[in-house]
Amino acid sequence: MDSTVDIFESSLNLEETHFKEGFDEGYGDGLISGKQEGEQVGLKTGFEVGEELGFYRGCVDVWNSAIRVDPNFVSARIQKSIKQMDDMLQKYPMSEPENESVSDIMDSLRLKFRAICASLNVKLEYSGYPRASDGGKIEF
Amino acid sequence: MNFADEIFELRELQRLEGHADRVWGLAWKPATGADGVPAVLASCSGDKTVRVWEQSPLTGSFQCKAVLEETHNRTVRSCAWSPSGKLLATASFDATTAIWEDIGGDFACISTLEGHENEVKSVSWNASGSLLATCGRDKSVWIWEVLPHNEFDCVSVLQGHTQDVKMVQWHPTMDILFSCSYDNTIKIWAEDGDNDDWHCVQTLNESNSGHTSTVWALSFNATGDKMVSCSDDLTIKIWGSDIMRMQSGDGNAPWKHLSTLSGYHDRTIFSVHWSRDGIIASGAADDAIRLFVESEDHLVDGPSYKLLLKKEKAHEMDVNAVQWSSMEVNRRLASASDDGTVKIWEFAASSAHKKLQL
Repeated sequence: MDSTVDIFESSLNLEETHFKEGFDEGYGDGLISGKQEGEQVGLKTGFEVGEELGFYRGCVDVWNSAIRVDPNFVSARIQKSIKQMDDMLQKYPMSEPENESVSDIMDSLRLKFRAICASLNVKLEYSGYPRASDGGKIEF
Repeated sequence: MNFADEIFELRELQRLEGHADRVWGLAWKPATGADGVPAVLASCSGDKTVRVWEQSPLTGSFQCKAVLEETHNRTVRSCAWSPSGKLLATASFDATTAIWEDIGGDFACISTLEGHENEVKSVSWNASGSLLATCGRDKSVWIWEVLPHNEFDCVSVLQGHTQDVKMVQWHPTMDILFSCSYDNTIKIWAEDGDNDDWHCVQTLNESNSGHTSTVWALSFNATGDKMVSCSDDLTIKIWGSDIMRMQSGDGNAPWKHLSTLSGYHDRTIFSVHWSRDGIIASGAADDAIRLFVESEDHLVDGPSYKLLLKKEKAHEMDVNAVQWSSMEVNRRLASASDDGTVKIWEFAASSAHKKLQL
């Protein structure tokens, strides 16, 4: 009996062998393309976050300069909001993308920014600036 | 007032024509319609205009005194008079809120509030007229402070709703803001200390007996300890809170579900308004106006409400808004509809048949 098993063993395991080969090959390829894709997404997201933070930094710096020149440039309320944005920008954990506070700080920054712009009656944007609403659907 | 012994009717006094598209909102000007001051009503429409109607002291009929146009370039969805009656705020799908000043019958746009990303759906003044709230399709609620020289500062931008916000309404006596949304919830916003820091202090949703579909409107009773809300889920809900605790500033008094009025409507309820003397009016997609009052037979677990009357075919199309005059003397109701008209109604005991009192 033993000898007959030996003869057929390689063909019996054919399916399993091919499956394993295919799996290993696919896994190897997936690892490479997954890393590449991850890198691209990371670059894109990192760029977007950096662009938005840099934009706010720039606005806050310009407003602060204007306030230094003319302390009555804006109301006390708006000055306070600008200060709050300044503080948030400083504490934003730029190099810790996995820090859970990032999305909270970004949300607060966006709300403060909208409030300041509305009070100043200005519309400040750059192409690609994130919108709070998705738009699309029409309803009343 | 006792609603048990008499039969009441809603009598059509006048049909106001002039808008060229559906009429969305209504606002009675405060302190008009009594003591010799002619009643004034504002209506806003899909025709991008606001019309101001005034009652003639001689004939008693309403006439269009002003058309506020060429400022909004899309539908005007909501309008509200400041408590002093000097300013009228109008919210539009063009993403702006305009502030109009009444200068001897001429209305001038004195300020435009920009900030919402798209359609503004509702506008409301607080009791003292020092704060203005707006909300819209961008899911946000905005609070503005009224400054001297017609300036408006944005106090806060509030995010919390996950969908289109349909209506904002300030509490009648306290600076607490209520908003209702396409996300089926009512949110309550209050200020932390004196810091411009506004937060959502309570969310009324399905888990606390709230609505299961879009909440379209809400309104308060005269004392401010009860609130009524209406929804696409075909129900009206009554909420209550401990007003004494609220006023003492002793923390936040939560709002609790008291009663649900179901089985009365079979189409979306767009509008609900509580009169000074306790009558709840509703306007719905079935073209009818219904009136409800608290019934004497209290249930163990809270007050119950009964249908006082139903006015079928109040309009030819959807009733978008119902609004009681704030003057108790005349019990006047205004309604606005997709059929492009505004109607003035008088609520009174039916002259034809009084119930026999045995």
